[in-house]
Formats: sequence, structure tokens, C-alpha cells
Amino acid sequence: QKIPVALYGGRHAVTMLPGSGIGPELMAYVRDVFRYAGAPVDFETININPNTDESDDLIHAITSIKRNGVAIKGNIETKSEDTEVQSRNVAIRNELDLFINVLNCKSYPGVKCRQSNIDIVIIRQNTEGEYAMLEHESVHGVVESMKIVTQSNSERVARWAFEYAKRHGRKKVTIVHKANIMKLSDGLFLETSRRIAKEYPEIEHNDMIIDNCCMQLVSNPHQFDVMIMTNLYGSIVSNVICGLIGGAGLLSGRNYGDHYAVFEPGTRNTGTAIAGKNIANPIAMLNASVDMLEHLGHQQHADMIQQAIVKTICEDNIQTPDLGGHHSSSDVVQRVIDHIVHSDRT
Amino acid sequence: STGSRFYSSQVRKCTMIPGDGIGPEISQAVQKIFATAKVPIEWETVDVTPVRGPDGKFGIPQAAIDSVNRNKIGLKGPLMTPVGKGHRSLNLALRKEFNLYANVRPCRSLEGYKTLYDNVDVVTIRENTEGEYSGIEHEIVDGVVQSIKLITEEASMRVAEFAFEYTRENKRKKVTAVHKANIMRMSDGLFLRCCRDVAAKFPDIKFEEKYLDTVCLNMVQDPSQYDVLVMPNLYGDIMSDMCAGLVGGLGLTPSGNIGINGALFESVHGTAPDIAGQDKANPTALLLSAVMMLKHMGLVEQARIIETACYETIKEAKYLTGDLGGKAKCSEFTNEICAKISAH
Ligand SMILES: Nc1ncnc2c1ncn2[C@@H]1O[C@H](COP(=O)(O)OP(=O)(O)OP(=O)(O)O)[C@@H](O)[C@H]1O
Ligand SMILES: Nc1ncnc2c1ncn2[C@@H]1O[C@H](COP(=O)(O)OP(=O)(O)OP(=O)(O)O)[C@@H](O)[C@H]1O
Ligand SMILES: [Mg+2]
Ligand SMILES: [Mg+2]
Repeated sequence: QKIPVALYGGRHAVTMLPGSGIGPELMAYVRDVFRYAGAPVDFETININPNTDESDDLIHAITSIKRNGVAIKGNIETKSEDTEVQSRNVAIRNELDLFINVLNCKSYPGVKCRQSNIDIVIIRQNTEGEYAMLEHESVHGVVESMKIVTQSNSERVARWAFEYAKRHGRKKVTIVHKANIMKLSDGLFLETSRRIAKEYPEIEHNDMIIDNCCMQLVSNPHQFDVMIMTNLYGSIVSNVICGLIGGAGLLSGRNYGDHYAVFEPGTRNTGTAIAGKNIANPIAMLNASVDMLEHLGHQQHADMIQQAIVKTICEDNIQTPDLGGHHSSSDVVQRVIDHIVHSDRT
Repeated sequence: STGSRFYSSQVRKCTMIPGDGIGPEISQAVQKIFATAKVPIEWETVDVTPVRGPDGKFGIPQAAIDSVNRNKIGLKGPLMTPVGKGHRSLNLALRKEFNLYANVRPCRSLEGYKTLYDNVDVVTIRENTEGEYSGIEHEIVDGVVQSIKLITEEASMRVAEFAFEYTRENKRKKVTAVHKANIMRMSDGLFLRCCRDVAAKFPDIKFEEKYLDTVCLNMVQDPSQYDVLVMPNLYGDIMSDMCAGLVGGLGLTPSGNIGINGALFESVHGTAPDIAGQDKANPTALLLSAVMMLKHMGLVEQARIIETACYETIKEAKYLTGDLGGKAKCSEFTNEICAKISAH
């Protein structure tokens, strides 16, 4: 269960993949905050050129994560129009077998948004399904795209979710699917999850069809606790819930396999349109860095930054425009740093 | 083309499939309102309860098929989904029979019925014949299954063309193609390319491309940034229900299915067996579907009068049915709409 991490002379080495759009500026904030927090982490930064079809950078990045065990990343773009060139984000997750994506979607009091008091955990299959990227053009103008569901991966996800629910005192797990249409693939995911659920009689479980689920999410989201689903539905549900409780700039997401862990903003956006304007919300990436510190065992540093974030956005109301505020990214980061500098170091 | 257009005042025949559960009462409500508005339509009511054909399989009665094929236009209430295996869904059968390739669902906030969103006015247009619903699935080896999503140029062009024509005819401004071509580079890539090609032929309409997840994120934050959305089958299924959720659920949202052999308009809520036969059902979804039908037939003036009377009745909130928090019966709500139409 414990994922190994690289440690050199008391300091951790972590791979940093800034990615495109707002990624690089957000990573600079993470470095600043870590410096003031005295977090014992050294970053190995690798830039992946979005404009090339070559995979040298990608191989380099994967090797680095394999060495360090842990990475923090922004969204990596793949600009190539060549259908043979696969999404690099997907390639990284598949190559490292990061079969779980987890989003803790908890409302921030003080952030103006559509729904309040949400506390949902999304657990998503992260390596197969619609992201299998097996496609071909059988005859001209007819394309087949394969969705792959395996029993072994479905089982790993379900078990991970029920174990999570058990350890964190969660009451209910909702299985999201479209097994009425995709009887074999989603059927397998649903059946496997139900079978695993039987081993956890103390945790309630139900299932819901993805379209109804999205309707329920926007009208009655408080019925949900832990949710599990295949890859594409995970992308949909994550974005719907993040949208309801404050947008793309707030929450972080975690990717786990048996050997590696990768931390990133929850909705995986590039933010091309807002890059370089000092308006991007730095919180999602800072939250990803907090997740990473927790994972590395630096709970004190994690708590210190976490508390500084909450004070900044919930008490001081220092917020970027996406949350309805009028502060710049650097205003937010500066206030977080101020709180860190003034916090009691025990 | 989007189907036949009828501009004359000559009486047109329309097929009516009242459906099960609350279907008959809400169909009756629609017929009464149409009669009051003197809509030049003669209804031809048919039964679609599956019958055993010569091959021993259950299917839609020939008379119903003939009626829609003759009239090229129909209105349909909710149908009970038969339980148990081997029964093809009747909705699916109708879709196949009439080649209904595009599903159109306008979602609009209703004044007077409060939800978290008061600025929704979007139309989802969903490709309805292929994609993830191809039904091609196999178990490759034990414990490994694959489902095939099928995207063709023909179906993608057809739905894209419909979306742009719909946008122009309904005086809307923008079409957003919703896709996941960053991951499904060939299949969604093909769909997207078709949308681009069609967009080039409609320079008066704004066109944009958005990732499915980004649309989900933006839609629940600020739905007013979207207008008409066009997308492959599964995405459309999900987005249409989600948008309905924003404005108060399936009981209020109309739906139209545009086909090669005709067009079928329907309410997408269930048969509501718990309130069936009690004069408690809300006919709004079916009525607004019937209004869509009128617009499709070119009877825009009557459509506008009926639509306005319906919106006004909901806004005044004097005669609301139980699902909207009122106490009125279906017939009282209907009578109020009729009164407004007569006063017009
Ligand atoms: N950190 C952030 N702070 C503020 N807004 C953000 C942040 N990240 C994403 N957004 C906003 O969320 C929305 C969706 O993000 P974005 O446009 O990056 O999606 P995308 O699909 O990745 O598009 P693109 O590839 O064009 O960047 C946009 O309105 C963007 O401005
Ligand atoms: N048009 C309507 N007017 C009022 N209430 C409705 C309407 N449609 C649905 N409802 C209510 O919404 C709930 C769910 O409706 P729905 O018709 O989906 O029931 P169902 O049991 O799922 O039926 P079916 O099996 O036909 O889908 C019911 O409690 C019903 O009373
Ligand atoms: Mg649906
Ligand atoms: Mg139902």
C-alpha cells in the first residue's frame, strides 16, 4: 500500500511537469510557497514540448517519475494533428499504471458558488475505458473507437473505493455507469463493483446511470458521498462538481498506482486563454502541492500551507476573478506566504 | 433539409401516440389546447403496444408505422419500458423505424418556477443513431470486454447540418461542437471535422469547439455562455439530461427527434404510474414538444401563442400542478392555458 519515494539527505526529490498554459506560472508559485514553508522538497523540472511528434521529453519525464516515485503536474498539451500521436497526459497515466484518480470535492465556505456544503469523493478508473485510444478507420469515413473495461481494473477501483470509504468513515458508495446501453463493458464494471460491495456490508451502496446522475448532481447533489466510475464519466462528474463548488481553479486531484503518485489540479485544464495574465487561480495547484506533501509524510508543512490557503480565501477574501474576487494570482500567493511566515512553527 | 415544411393553412394530419400511464391525460390536454388555438391539425391517434409479427417477434403495429410514414410527423407521450430481456425498447424501435437521426432538446428557465439557474436558454442537439450506442460489444478474453463507438462521416455531417439549419431558422447565434478529440483523436476528430466543414457554409453563425468536460464545468457555472450545442450520441444524452436538471427536470423540457422519414416529438419524462389517471400530471413537457412540432411545420404564429400562454400560466403560479409545488389538477392548468389563448 505504501508507495516508495526518493529521499536524498532528508530531502525529497519530486518530478515537476509544468505543462502548457497556466501550468508554468502556477508551478512558480508552488516553488515560492515551498521556499517560505521550508518544505524539504527538490524539484526536477521537465518541460514537454507540445509542438513535436517526438516522444523524447515524454520518455524522460516518465523515467524521472519512476526514479522519484512522485510528481506534480500541470496539463500537458499535445498539439500534433497526427492521430498516431497519443495524448501525453494519458500516456503518463498508462505507463505508470496510475489506475486511480481521486478528487475530494469539499466546499470552501466563503467561496461564492451555486452549491454549498458539498462533500463528495470521486474515485475514477484512470487508465482504460474510453481512454484506451484504440481507434481505426475501417473504411473511409467510418471510425471505430474501442472502449476497454477489464475485470481486474474494475476490481482494483472498487476495492480502493470501499477501502477508502471504510478508513474515512464514509457511509455510501454510488456506482455510476451506463450499463443499460453498454451492457458488457459498463455491465462488467457495475457487476464487479457490486460484488466487491458485498464484502463491505457496513457501507451502503447504490448505482446510477450517468445521465440521471448528472441531472441529480445539478439539482440534488447532497445525496452523494463516495462515487466510483469508469474513466470518461469520471471526467464529466469531476467537472460538474468542481463547477458547482467554485470552478477549475480550486480543487486538486490525485493519481495513484501501486508504485507512483502524481498530483495535479482536479479538472486538468490548460487555461490557455488566461495564461500570463496574473489572473489564474493558484489554489488548485497549491492544493495539489499540499496533497503531495501529505503523501511524502510532511504533514506539518502540508497543514501549514493548507491553513494559509483557507485563511487567504475564506477569511481574508483574497480571491482571483474566477471566484468573483478582484485580486491577482500573485496577491493570493503573497497572502498565502504572509500567513505561512506568521504561522507558529512547532 | 430539416424535413417537410407546410406553410398553407390547409389542415394537416399528425400522428398521435398517447402512450402509457399519464400519457393519455397529458395528450388530451394538448389536444384541447390545440383545438382552442384553432391549430389546423387533425390528429390520427395510434396505438404502439407491441404485437407479435409474422416472424414471431414483438414489434410496433404496422398501422402505427404506416400512420407516421404517411403523415411524416407525430407527437408521442411516455411509453412504458417492458421489463425483462429480449424486449427491445420501444423508443429504440421507433428511432430505428423512422431513422430519427437528431434529438433536439431546448432547455429554458421558466419564469415563476425557481431553480438555482434563471438564465438557461440552451438547445442540445444529439446524434441519435450511432456512437457509443452502436451496440457492438465483445468479450475479448475472460475479464476483458470492449464496446465499440462508431462514428461515421455520413451521420456526423447530417447532424451538423441539422444543427446549423436549426440555429439559423430559430434565429439563434452560436453552435458549440462538444467533443473529446484530445483523447479520441480519430472518432471525435472526425465528428469535429464534419462540424467545421458545415460551419464554413454558415458564416452568419458563430462556431466554437469545446471539450466535453470543459462544457460540463462551464455549464453549471454560467449556462448563459452557451446557445446551441451539437455532439455525438452519449455526450448528448448526458448533456441534455444535465441541462434539463438546471431548469427543473424532465417534466418541463420538450424534445424532438428529427428523421429521414419523419419527425417525432415527445415528452421525455416517464409514465409516472403513481399519479396516472388522477388528473394530477403536468402536461407542460408534452405541450412544449407539440409547440416544437408546430415550429417544425412552419406554424410559428400558433406555436408562439400557445407557448406564451403556457409560460404565462406557470409564471402566474395560480394553477400549478403538484410537481411544481402547486395544487391544481392537470385539467385546471390546461383550462387556464386555454383561457389565455381565447383571450388573445
Ligand atoms: N487556475 C484557474 N484559475 C482560473 N480559471 C481557470 C483556471 N483553470 C481553468 N480555468 C478556467 O476554466 C475554464 C476551462 O479551462 P480551459 O479553458 O483551460 O479548458 P481547456 O478545455 O483545457 O481549454 P484550453 O485547452 O483552450 O486551455 C476556462 O474558463 C478557464 O479560464
Ligand atoms: N408530467 C408529469 N407531471 C407530474 N409529475 C410527473 C410527471 N412526470 C413524472 N412525474 C413524477 O416524477 C416521478 C418519476 O416519474 P417517472 O415517470 O420517471 O416514473 P417511473 O416510475 O420512472 O416511470 P417509467 O417506468 O415509465 O419511467 C414520479 O413520482 C412522477 O409522479
Ligand atoms: Mg438520457
Ligand atoms: Mg422513469
